[in-house]
Amino acid sequence: MKGGSRVVIEPHRHDGVFVAKGKEDALVTKNLAIGESVYGEKRVSVQNEDGTKVEYRIWNPFRSKLAAAILGGVDNIWITPGSKVLYLGAASGTTVSHVSDIVGPNGVVYAVEFSHRSGRDLVNMAKKRTNVIPIIEDARHPAKYRMLVSMVDVIFSDVAQPDQARILALNASYFLKIGGHFVISIKANCIDSTVPAEAVFAQEVKKLQADQFKPSEQVTLEPFERDHACVVGGYRMPKKQKVPAS
Amino acid sequence: MSSLRNAVYRRAHKERAQPHSRKKFGLLEKHKDYALRAQAFHKKEEALRKLKEKAAFRNPDEFYFKMIKTKTVDGIHRPESEANKYSQEELMLMKTQDIGYVLQKLQSEKKKIEKLRSMLHSLDNQPPNKHVYYAEDREEAEEISARTLEKVKSATSEGIPKKIKRKLAASYRELEDRSKRAAELEKLYMDMALQKELQKKGKKRKLREDEIVCPTARPVYKWRTERKR
Repeated sequence: MKGGSRVVIEPHRHDGVFVAKGKEDALVTKNLAIGESVYGEKRVSVQNEDGTKVEYRIWNPFRSKLAAAILGGVDNIWITPGSKVLYLGAASGTTVSHVSDIVGPNGVVYAVEFSHRSGRDLVNMAKKRTNVIPIIEDARHPAKYRMLVSMVDVIFSDVAQPDQARILALNASYFLKIGGHFVISIKANCIDSTVPAEAVFAQEVKKLQADQFKPSEQVTLEPFERDHACVVGGYRMPKKQKVPAS
Repeated sequence: MSSLRNAVYRRAHKERAQPHSRKKFGLLEKHKDYALRAQAFHKKEEALRKLKEKAAFRNPDEFYFKMIKTKTVDGIHRPESEANKYSQEELMLMKTQDIGYVLQKLQSEKKKIEKLRSMLHSLDNQPPNKHVYYAEDREEAEEISARTLEKVKSATSEGIPKKIKRKLAASYRELEDRSKRAAELEKLYMDMALQKELQKKGKKRKLREDEIVCPTARPVYKWRTERKR
């Protein structure tokens, strides 16, 4: 190849996420729908040694809280190739498209969105990605879409509602497997704008713990979002075996 | 024939020079010089004569507007003042047009910054956020703190070629330059907007430092409330 490639792609700490270095220095995911941009993001294609081309899409952390959390250095996102993900608050499907890139053709993403307007974009995006199942329903009533969703490994929740912990618990009780994981993004202003953000996060974590969730870590999303946090943890985790002290 | 004439010795004609005793008057004036000097003198003389004549035959009722628009101060003519050349509205329009241009540039710069930011995530730097771990008991907490301590960030830009490193650096430089420019434009725009607001009607005054409620580095003006009918 003349002059070497212009971009170097390296795998990220998280499975299915990559890092592109070139003119850009960005988080990328392997594009499942080649030649398609979902929200006008840049794509980079790289030629392998055997001459096949792989296309990656740049993941904008200013538009996706999951990307912001990854850049914030979260230890585990639990969304891996082949996993089944329930995505609450999918909006137009910007992050969903990247999650669908990560889980790959063997995984499934159930994307729940209430608004018809942004649901339209979501459905259009899902037309090109076979592993995304769009559900235009209220996430407060999981019974309405229980026929569509199987048991999932991970629930990602970005609903920005005051009762988002309850919504997450409700959906987890329906669809999340025992020992599954959750990732929830919390916008402090949406829950209580009168108290400091830190207090809101602590309060939400308390609520989650009351609902059989076991939060393991929390990252704030600076500098991409203000007063946002991403909490990651497990659901109905098995009790830890006490090591007998001897 | 002429060549022969050239051959005969001819005495060089010497011009008379200024005598040594009169050296201080400069070069000796010849008729040619005198003619020039006389012409210039007569021209001035004539001009003066004409002006005197005009003054003598002046019509005392003669009036031009320039006579009241401009003045002579200590015999020096003051040209018309340019200060009120444009009306208030025209001035306002001119200023706002500039403001519009600055705003347009600012917005295009901001757009470019956003585009650059979306693809430059500074992956090698530690993010400025907070990372909290939740532990059930003391043992787990110790385990986690030990793990986080040993998790030293490994720089990802080690094995990449020099060419790409250069490109990366250029991209970051561009982002920095653009953000600097945007900040400057923003400041300029704010200043212009303030100027524009200050030109508007109404009595206003600059607040003293101790009167400002939420302190800023910028000047704060307050308009007197005016009852509208």
